[in-house]
Amino acid sequence: MDKKVKVIPCSGIGKVFGLMAREAVLKTVIELCPETSETVCLAHIVTGDTEAKAKIEGLDCITVDGCPKMCASKNVSAAGGILIEEIKVLDTVKEHKGKKFGSPTMLDADGEDVISEIAMKIKERIT
Amino acid sequence: MSELKVGVLSCSGEECLGGTISRLATRQVLEELKMVTTVTLCLPLYLAGGQEERNFAKVFPTISVDGCDKLCAKRSTEKYSGKITGFIDVSKIIGKENALNTKIVRNKDLTDEHLQMVDDVASEIVKMISQMSPDSYEGKSFRGCSCGSE
Repeated sequence: MDKKVKVIPCSGIGKVFGLMAREAVLKTVIELCPETSETVCLAHIVTGDTEAKAKIEGLDCITVDGCPKMCASKNVSAAGGILIEEIKVLDTVKEHKGKKFGSPTMLDADGEDVISEIAMKIKERIT
Repeated sequence: MSELKVGVLSCSGEECLGGTISRLATRQVLEELKMVTTVTLCLPLYLAGGQEERNFAKVFPTISVDGCDKLCAKRSTEKYSGKITGFIDVSKIIGKENALNTKIVRNKDLTDEHLQMVDDVASEIVKMISQMSPDSYEGKSFRGCSCGSE
């Protein structure tokens, strides 16, 4: 059985918070926890394909969402993933009032700092 | 005068390079294309959202942009929202080997080669939009929001 924790962002495309979710997850799986975590295409899960479901069904998952609609969390849950943590980008963003995080296309320096914090939270939950 | 709007929906897949390129090319078109207004939707909102989101492809002529030949954005849109107008398979533009490269990159680590791929895919999206005839999408409002209101 695949022991790697699945870390899945919403990758929302309309606001910077979706990019922050995506980048925090990529930082986790590429830089911080490459041996113990991996990501899965949320779009594939949305299709409802059996093959996509099999990637997460019954497995530990952490979702990272950029807005209160909680798309990653809802889709992963619906596909049978076991949610061991639902991270909300806005919870961390609230602690950084007044800062500019970048655009939905590219993060600024402050955005990078915040996603590093979120990535550390993900790492703590994995290890 | 009514405003022409076109929907562009990317898979934004996280597992391979094609998804990253699809997301960035879609963003580039949204930010830079001036001839029509482009709108988008977060793909997972089809399940997490409500009827407004599911009306997206019914309201706007919509192009899906997928990173690989699984065509998740195309299939999900057609499953939840209605028939799309056109689709782009990024792997056909940047090559399957590049698209399925699981050595995923963060935006800050994109190379000139990656950025060229983004430009190439964005050009294809623009080309597809420019070939669309507004008259051919009967029943679509071309204006208002994705909930269908004018």
